[in-house]
Amino acid sequence: MIESTVWVALPLTILTGGAFGLYVLARLLRLRNTHLAALTAGVFAVALLSLTPLFALVRAGAAPFFGAPTPGSAFLQADAAGLLLTAIACGLGVAVALYSGHYISLDQRFITYYPLLLMLIAGMIGMLLAADLFNLYLFCELMSISAYVLVAFRRHTDTAIEAGFKYLVMGSVGTLIMLLGIAFVYRETGQLTLPLENGIPGPWRRAGIACLLVGLGVKSAIVPLHTWLPDAYGRAPSSVSALLAAVISKSTLILMLKVALGLGLPAATLGLGLLLLSFLNMTLGNGLALVQTHTKRLLAYSSIAQTGYIMFSLGIGLRYELPAALQAGLFLLLTHAVMKATAFLSKGVCHFYCNTTLVTELRGTAQQLPLAALTFALSLAGLAGIPPLAGFVSKWFILTECLRAADWLAYVGLAIFLLNSLLALGYYLPLIVQLFTPAPARTGGAPARIGISPWMAVPLLTLAALIIAIGLYPGPWLAWVR
Amino acid sequence: MAINHMLLLTILGAPLLTALGLVVFQKKVARSAGWIAAAGAALSLAAVLALLPALRRDEISALALRWIPEAGIEFGLHVDWLTLPFLVTEAVVTLVAILYSWGYHQVDARTPNFYALLLLFAVGMSGTTIADDMFLFYIFWELMLIASCVLILVWGDGERRGAVALKYFIFTHAGSLMVLVGLILLYGETGSDSFAVLRAGQWALAPGLVTAVITLFILGFCVKMAIFPVHLWLPDAHTVAPMPVTIMLAAAMLSMGVYGILRFPMSIFSAEQLLPFAAPMMIAGIISEVYGALMALAEQDVKRIVAYSSVSQMGYILFGLGTLTREGVIGATLHVIYHAIVKALLFMVMGLVIRATGRRRIGELGGLGRSMPVVAVCAAIGALGIAGMPPLGIFTSEWMIFSGGFHTAHIGLSIVTLFSSLLTVIYALLLVGRIFVGAPPEGLKVGPLPKAMVLTTIAVTVLLIIEGLWPAPLFDWAEHELLLLLGGIL
Repeated sequence: MIESTVWVALPLTILTGGAFGLYVLARLLRLRNTHLAALTAGVFAVALLSLTPLFALVRAGAAPFFGAPTPGSAFLQADAAGLLLTAIACGLGVAVALYSGHYISLDQRFITYYPLLLMLIAGMIGMLLAADLFNLYLFCELMSISAYVLVAFRRHTDTAIEAGFKYLVMGSVGTLIMLLGIAFVYRETGQLTLPLENGIPGPWRRAGIACLLVGLGVKSAIVPLHTWLPDAYGRAPSSVSALLAAVISKSTLILMLKVALGLGLPAATLGLGLLLLSFLNMTLGNGLALVQTHTKRLLAYSSIAQTGYIMFSLGIGLRYELPAALQAGLFLLLTHAVMKATAFLSKGVCHFYCNTTLVTELRGTAQQLPLAALTFALSLAGLAGIPPLAGFVSKWFILTECLRAADWLAYVGLAIFLLNSLLALGYYLPLIVQLFTPAPARTGGAPARIGISPWMAVPLLTLAALIIAIGLYPGPWLAWVR
Repeated sequence: MAINHMLLLTILGAPLLTALGLVVFQKKVARSAGWIAAAGAALSLAAVLALLPALRRDEISALALRWIPEAGIEFGLHVDWLTLPFLVTEAVVTLVAILYSWGYHQVDARTPNFYALLLLFAVGMSGTTIADDMFLFYIFWELMLIASCVLILVWGDGERRGAVALKYFIFTHAGSLMVLVGLILLYGETGSDSFAVLRAGQWALAPGLVTAVITLFILGFCVKMAIFPVHLWLPDAHTVAPMPVTIMLAAAMLSMGVYGILRFPMSIFSAEQLLPFAAPMMIAGIISEVYGALMALAEQDVKRIVAYSSVSQMGYILFGLGTLTREGVIGATLHVIYHAIVKALLFMVMGLVIRATGRRRIGELGGLGRSMPVVAVCAAIGALGIAGMPPLGIFTSEWMIFSGGFHTAHIGLSIVTLFSSLLTVIYALLLVGRIFVGAPPEGLKVGPLPKAMVLTTIAVTVLLIIEGLWPAPLFDWAEHELLLLLGGIL
């Protein structure tokens, strides 16, 4: 029997404590935006560092937990996938917080912004590490409510309120269905621990699993439950969209696997379901992204498509019992997080300095904001899966695993996957072309080059360097996913 | 052996580091960028030539470093006789294109980036030929696409360059994906992504899978070769690209598709396995030959005429490969080398004509032979070269290809391809004749020509003549290459 270890609860404590402490400090000392950004980044960094012993434990094969030592009453329990997402979220948190040091400087309500960021990630971590359905639900709500508020953060614009409201309504319905599912499970088994120990699910538990899958499906934007996503990502501040797209909606996907498998759904069935739904996600996401004129909505649809790729890989792994395919899926999750965050943050720079929202308005970005154009183009090329960037490596692993499955469904899936990655070029490339097309000549000569604040430049450059580094030398990252 | 490793790394490293240096210090080197880039390309070429003695001594020049052990991926480089013709061609063409750019390219603040991208394009091509591992191969394979696409996008002529770059990228990337699936199917069967394992032959595929893999490879590489009907990207890309890029695309990049077919289907599968694909390859080759030649006759833009001639010439090569005979394959390899030189020469001449007159439509040109006699002589030699006039090289290679055709059961196809070569003579002579002979149309002004462009053109003409008169070393390379193909039975 392993001892209960406080390490599991530490990141969560740091983030929630940080959120409260930061708010109080900001009120008392009248801190400025940049101070808050630096402090928030510090909190995220400390949380990231506090994960190191946990990683060591999990890699040694243990399942560290926090709470009472009797089985079934642990409060938090760490697993590999959850830890991976936690680490990605904290790492991106540092980048996003620093970036906000300049990005949010024109908003009046920055004091609430940073605690909300911390709560968002804290909720996500709690949800991923929760060892029973009750805590899972609680943290899921914490995460969702922070997300609703952050999406509608620029409340002076109608569109942000509309998007936030849509997200709120759909998200709440999702969590309500989850709650119903939890009630069903409790009715049959009388307990809420994950994983449940007793054997085959009865009708109530099966209904409960279905409800939980639908509820988490809404949160992960699985087609046809994705309708809130383009609005939410399109209207939220870019820094928030980056976090939402990179980790939040992916965390519920991972949670879906954990919950469904923990409640006794056979892996092959879940795999088949994920596989079939992934085709919808890819095709619909890419197809609709093709016709978008609004850059952030385009990125949002691309997120739906990329969720489809991740589901595809996870589905292959579950259905054909290929652990390497699961790893490939997690690896794509990691690379997608880095690439999509870079894309959203670069887009944010364009919006901040040049007030661009439409794809056509991105013309001439390379002249005005060369750095943002470069990182944007890198991230888009990465998402399109062009070697030697990070996206290509993940695609390569998924393809190899998919062929290892050697089944007609996997081959059909492979064909759909490849057609989709071709289809996706149809919107990634024109966007890159737009970035590097000179702006139409206006009166007053060529547009001047604008210097980017280092608060934005440093996180962007770091993330862009990561895209190349992971692509050229994926070894250590791959080991990390394992 | 250590020397060989150094040389292998120099082939890639010299242009790569030069490109990096140009980008990093671009403010300081804007004026001297052309010289620096040429030095990088020359160093790469020198390294290639320095590997020749080792190859003759049958020393294996290979390098394998750990890269991604988790997935069994190595960083492997390897030079053998199959690589050599392509590697030399690519290195020579790159040097020529860069020297030509000295005159063609107007120096401005972005010049270092232009040369850096040309070098990256070259790294992509030489990397493709010397990569000894699937993952690395594919990265280089796409690098050449990306670098050339950016060159077209930023430095191309006309307003449509964005759309053209997009079309070029999507077409070729679709082909690349087919190649990628083929590679990964092989990887799944052999469990290693090293070509050394493929060469060793200690593996077997299910018969259905063999057909699938060969089909994927041939289709994928045919896109790069611009075989009808997947040639659609070529005329636009060649026309819009700046002339040095066009030279590299037409003279070197197209033959990377040939390299792919030789390296994958033809060297890892046996003749029996490939036999079902012989006739389709020959027929596709003939269709490309005839279609490319007819379109070259029909086009008005001088650059498009030469571009369509590439479709036609790649058709001959595919026909030669499809014969699966000793003569056909030697002919195809020689054709790659000769076509590279001739096509580079023709594009260089067209670049000079366009630069001097500012006109591109063939109907608006004429009588230039009097005002630019040297260029006219070069053009005439180029036209005779592509028409297959002895003793210029293409005569030899086409002869071999046709004779390969007559060694197969498909005599009818061989007769068709023989006669379709008449079309080449017509369009080549018409092209040069209408530009350089006759009365100049009204208002045609001939501007001054940059020395660098003219001198490079003359140098390439001389090279063409030398190659034609002294083909023995090239034959020797092709003979050695045959031992690596189809189990060495040819």
